[in-house]
Amino acid sequence: MKKLIPLLISSVLLILLGIAVGPVRISLSGILASFSLENIKIAFSSPNMLEENAYIILQIRLPRIILAYLVGVSLASAGTASQALFKNPLADPYIIGISGGAAVGASLAALYFPQYMSISALFGAVLAVFTVYKIAKVNGHIPVDTLLLAGIALGFFTSALTSYLLYVRKEGIHNAIFWLMGTFNGSEWDDVKLVLFSSTLGVIFLFFTWKELNLLLLGEESISMGLDINLYRKLIIGVISLLTSFAVATSGIIGFVGLISPHAMRIVFGPNHKRLLPASALFGGSLMVFADILARMLLRPSEIPVGIITALFGAPFFIYLLMKKKRGELLG
Amino acid sequence: MSSLVRLEVRVSFSYNQKEVLKNVSFSAEEGKLLAIVGPNGAGKSTLLKCLVGILKPKGYAKLNGINLLNLKPKERAKYISYVPQSSYPEFAFTVEEFVELGSYATGGTVEDALKTVGMWERKHELVTKLSGGEYQLVLVARALAQGSNVMLLDEPTSHLDINHALRIMNLLKALKKEKVVVAVMHDLNLALNYADNLLILDKGEVRWIGKPSKLTPEVLEEVYEIKAKITEVDSLKIVTAIE
Repeated sequence: MKKLIPLLISSVLLILLGIAVGPVRISLSGILASFSLENIKIAFSSPNMLEENAYIILQIRLPRIILAYLVGVSLASAGTASQALFKNPLADPYIIGISGGAAVGASLAALYFPQYMSISALFGAVLAVFTVYKIAKVNGHIPVDTLLLAGIALGFFTSALTSYLLYVRKEGIHNAIFWLMGTFNGSEWDDVKLVLFSSTLGVIFLFFTWKELNLLLLGEESISMGLDINLYRKLIIGVISLLTSFAVATSGIIGFVGLISPHAMRIVFGPNHKRLLPASALFGGSLMVFADILARMLLRPSEIPVGIITALFGAPFFIYLLMKKKRGELLG
Repeated sequence: MSSLVRLEVRVSFSYNQKEVLKNVSFSAEEGKLLAIVGPNGAGKSTLLKCLVGILKPKGYAKLNGINLLNLKPKERAKYISYVPQSSYPEFAFTVEEFVELGSYATGGTVEDALKTVGMWERKHELVTKLSGGEYQLVLVARALAQGSNVMLLDEPTSHLDINHALRIMNLLKALKKEKVVVAVMHDLNLALNYADNLLILDKGEVRWIGKPSKLTPEVLEEVYEIKAKITEVDSLKIVTAIE
């Protein structure tokens, strides 16, 4: 577990960096002063009374960075679990269409019942993952090609549905586009609370099922070792959906973090989920905060949707994985 | 000394309305290695998968009276373990981590299992770096870590060189002293010389069951549709096909 320490340190450093940088320059003393006990009290009672610098730090940057970190943790953990569930290192909530399903749920809710966005996203995600699972399964196995094709087909379908729903809503097209590409712009403490709930629940569950996740890698064989495979498949589908849908409901569709994190960490920590899960979660959080810093800084003072950054890094990585797979080198 | 462990089986299994196993019935006991042989597609692997719960057959598999087919997976795993047909390992677990997977239901000891197959010193190596024979030994160790009374093996010696094949067979000979050991065998000669009992399965039916010494060329001709002779050299039985 000593190997996790560098990941913890990088998480903390990136979070601090994320708080320090932004379109408005705030000196280090200004940042530290924002965290005075008095300011924190005001932030809890009447945040609008905060003076400008403290408001930027406590009400804009801090919730944004924490949300980005938690969404990164959620997506990386969901990615790790998807790869065990599908016995396939190319699985990721985005590529296999779960994010798309969640997006349909969320945009449907935005149109008709905005207070239930997360729940509706969760429903969409569960529906999507079951659909992909059913389509992709061939004789009890999930081959890469059917998995990707099922994911792509569902992705097109859900993306069309989501676009239609956002189109008929008509208002706030700019925000809608940002949301479709994934963004932490305008994050609030309420979003943080939601994702804190889903990520805590999901990640703790996964940590407790590391043995089952290891066994799932063996597929049907694991039944002979005592795994109730149907039960755990359902539970893990539920958790992946929870983690992904709450992330999508608060910050839109952000791809590839769930793919890259478990992969990078498997190279260092191996396939054992006892170490892979925490490593992947910490790495995913850091990666997301890093991507968000780039999203805010590259075209300062305006910003880029963070999903564009993760896709620009993630898609070439995905192609690299596919080529390895083609050469038969892709192993856990 | 506890009483002799005995497994009694009677199963039928259909897939897509096709009867793959037709009332297959046999018994196996501690101290005697049972080898199941038969042509390709006879239903040998299917039979083992039915007994460990991967497939859901009709019938029973009673271990000293307890029907294993009615148990939940975690409970069943305490009684029966399974060594699947070896395929290339997909994930780079260490040897120790890989064998630990077998101890999921029972918390059996990984160290003893690895020492039994002679791979304890190599526990930190990756399974993806092992040779086919070494990987097969680790698969047996994983089943051993379950600490069950019955061990089923699906073609444990196929694709192995003669050295590793004999190592596996001698291991089974040692294991049968404390377990019911049932092995689906591809190599008829290995089966004849190592098994105490032989079961010939063909088209989902038991065609012949008995001691290897009682096997006749006529039975082989009927099942495999070849003319064969069985010769014995220095108490070693050899089946040869003749034109």
